[in-house]
Amino acid sequence: MKRDSGAEQDVTEYAPEERGLMLRLRVYVSMRWLAILGVLASTVTASKVFHIGFPTTPVYVICAVIASYNLLMSRWATGLKGQRTEVVLRKAETYANIQIFLDLATLTVLLHFTGGIENPFLFLYLIHTTAAGMVLPRRRAYELTTLAMLMATLLVFLEYAGAIPHVNLEGFVLPYRYTQSSRVVGVLAALAALMYTSTYVTTAVSGELRKRKREVVRLRDQLLAKKTGEVEQISSEVTKLEDERHHFVRFLGVVAHDLQSPLVATQSLLTYILDGYTGEITEGQTDLMQRGVRRIDGLLTLISDLLDIPRIEAGEITREMRDISLNEVVRRSVEGLESLARQKGVALKVELPQTSPEVHASARRMQQVATNLVSNAINYTREGGVLVRVTESESGALVEVIDTGIGILPGDLPRLFADFFRGSNVQSKGTGLGLSISKRIIEAHGGKIWAESPCRETGKGSRFAFSLPKRVAVPHTEPGQPREGGQEANSKGGNHT
Amino acid sequence: MKLRPKVLLVDDDADLVKVMRGALESKAYEVIVAYNGQEGLEKAKKEKPDLVVLDIMMPVVDGFIFASEFRKDPSLAKVPVIALTSFSESLGQPFPFEVSEYVRKPIRPKDLVAKVEEFLKRRGSQT
Repeated sequence: MKRDSGAEQDVTEYAPEERGLMLRLRVYVSMRWLAILGVLASTVTASKVFHIGFPTTPVYVICAVIASYNLLMSRWATGLKGQRTEVVLRKAETYANIQIFLDLATLTVLLHFTGGIENPFLFLYLIHTTAAGMVLPRRRAYELTTLAMLMATLLVFLEYAGAIPHVNLEGFVLPYRYTQSSRVVGVLAALAALMYTSTYVTTAVSGELRKRKREVVRLRDQLLAKKTGEVEQISSEVTKLEDERHHFVRFLGVVAHDLQSPLVATQSLLTYILDGYTGEITEGQTDLMQRGVRRIDGLLTLISDLLDIPRIEAGEITREMRDISLNEVVRRSVEGLESLARQKGVALKVELPQTSPEVHASARRMQQVATNLVSNAINYTREGGVLVRVTESESGALVEVIDTGIGILPGDLPRLFADFFRGSNVQSKGTGLGLSISKRIIEAHGGKIWAESPCRETGKGSRFAFSLPKRVAVPHTEPGQPREGGQEANSKGGNHT
Repeated sequence: MKLRPKVLLVDDDADLVKVMRGALESKAYEVIVAYNGQEGLEKAKKEKPDLVVLDIMMPVVDGFIFASEFRKDPSLAKVPVIALTSFSESLGQPFPFEVSEYVRKPIRPKDLVAKVEEFLKRRGSQT
């Protein structure tokens, strides 16, 4: 048993089609060891226990012969390892044939030395034909059965005819029975009937099994082919979609440029006149020109915002992500808004940690968010100031923009980050897209953005904050993200712009 | 510093060129104009400008190629280049070449003149 399972494990080194054949060769080898033990045991039992008289030396010699070719066979089987599949298959086939022939021949010789037709073990031929019927194709199984039958008949006939000596099993059978023709014919007929019947039964059963196995293999191949086809189709569709997305983003870039270029040029023409390069203009003319410039500004921002949404949603941000310093981003945004704050008379204060939090983000998109939040805060603050604060915690970085401005009405908070939302307490100038774009940007970075009004810390105005997950974990303790308090709009809803 | 500093304007938008040229010429700069990067490179090599105002999005040879080719010429390696980026691009992300400053369109002609003056003054005080 152990030998068998060992053999089964070892054959996994062979190609699938080799495995069956190699396994069979190994099983035969171990069966042969068992057969030798069986022959030795029955010989000893027959001669010592039942005192049946026959020469035992030839039996031992034959056992030694079987043992030696069995060793040789197992050596050959091991030697096939690592060779090319077709070579292994051809050689294993040859070895199997040699073994079958040797087995039948030694069995015949053994029978000759142990009483020929008188030995009830004559029916051992049946084991060979049964085994052959299980593993060989039908035709080969019948050939083997016929060969076994011929050998048995030849042995019995030669002894019957006196061409070779007959060994009598003394004390077991009468010495003349092998010459009794009716008995000889009867035994041979019985042997033939049993062998051909067993061959018929075993080939029928194993043929059916082989048919089933082929069917299973066919179905498996069919299924595999179908699945492979599906996988190929899906992957080509994915590639196509990615291509389309890439083209779409490029297309949007061109659209943005082509829509904005004439506006930029027109605005430059207007400001050229406004700045007096074409001569003095009246106050009324200046006012009209300025209105024109502002309307173009609004249109430029709207185009840029409208095109930003599909660009962000198409995954443009992922390609722009780098390890960047958040302090630097905030500093740039604040610098760009200092003149606006001065103009509005709003104090702009920045608190940055000594070492900047490192985040994996798109620098320009981060700056866009920071600029959006800070400019909103400045625009909606009449007196007081705006504080921009960056902090770092275990989980990531936090940017807060706190103002003492007009605040957000409680009813507006839930819709604050929605597309085209404008606060009901403001005369809006913006596109209503600033915060919704900021939300998309932050979420594309795996972060969160939210707002509260009034600010819990100051009791007035509002507080906008966004958090970003940290790229590299640096042990550092800073006040974490504040929980609850005031009214919060958790990255849902509208716009302050 | 020369009496009339030479400014090379490289931009494919004729209206913008007209406005920028007018503003610069009113300050007594000598203005050379090129409508694409290829033309800009040829004129830069011939005229040796003191400063370049460069549009990034241009047909044929864009601002990126222009700037890298421009810097290869040793006589132009230290000339300030003010790059104009389109409205949708941002200043947050530096372009991968040596440009003195990026300015986002639209820029008021007056502000552009102020930028140019600032750079030339800085350069004049260095030499």
